[in-house]
Amino acid sequence: MESLLQRIVETGSMIAILDITGVPTVDTLVAQHLLKTVAAARLMGADCIISGIRPQIAQTIVHLGVDLNSVTTKSTLADAFAVALRRANLRVVSTAPVRPVGGPMTPQEDL
Amino acid sequence: MSVERIPILKMGAFLLVSIQVDMHDRLALQLQEDLTTRIAETGAHGVLIDISALEMVDSFIGRMLGNIAGMSRVLDADTVVVGMRPAVAITLVELGMSLPGVRTALDVERGMALLASAAGERYASDHADGA
Repeated sequence: MESLLQRIVETGSMIAILDITGVPTVDTLVAQHLLKTVAAARLMGADCIISGIRPQIAQTIVHLGVDLNSVTTKSTLADAFAVALRRANLRVVSTAPVRPVGGPMTPQEDL
Repeated sequence: MSVERIPILKMGAFLLVSIQVDMHDRLALQLQEDLTTRIAETGAHGVLIDISALEMVDSFIGRMLGNIAGMSRVLDADTVVVGMRPAVAITLVELGMSLPGVRTALDVERGMALLASAAGERYASDHADGA
């Protein structure tokens, strides 16, 4: 928790993504700790997005009665990153030249 | 003997409070009193509280921040708390005070932007009602 909050201060980040894809199981203590981290980051002025929650973890979280309603959750890190870009009013665009009509290249859809 | 006070600066439609000293309980109560008076006097639409110099908080100070936000809300002003240190944030969360009614920002600049956008929305909604 401390290291995330410290990095938020150092980098001036407005959004933090917590990706827990590599976490196989979660107990109440870990879930509560995640929630505390999200709350602390919000107090400092940064939003948190949690991504990569496994089905088993989702079941555990609901069965344990942990309230994640106030937290943005996304299924993959890519989804979370897309949300973060949108919130920061940023977008990724292709630098490839747009081909003439009928060409195979079309501008990338916005994320 | 004059009482120690925390200065409240007026910046346009907003009030700026920068806490640069260690908060003790009497100072906090004095601030609460002064701030509500100033909001009423000036008709400010936003209050920005900079706590970047605050190194320690207790439950009393935490509750005071929540109270100030609640009072400002009643007086038709938004509150943004900016520059909270990691240690302070952790303490407040561990105390079970996640200050749900308080808006937050990383620094004064972003806090001001937040207040300005809130003021813009307020203006838009006020004028939508009258139209």
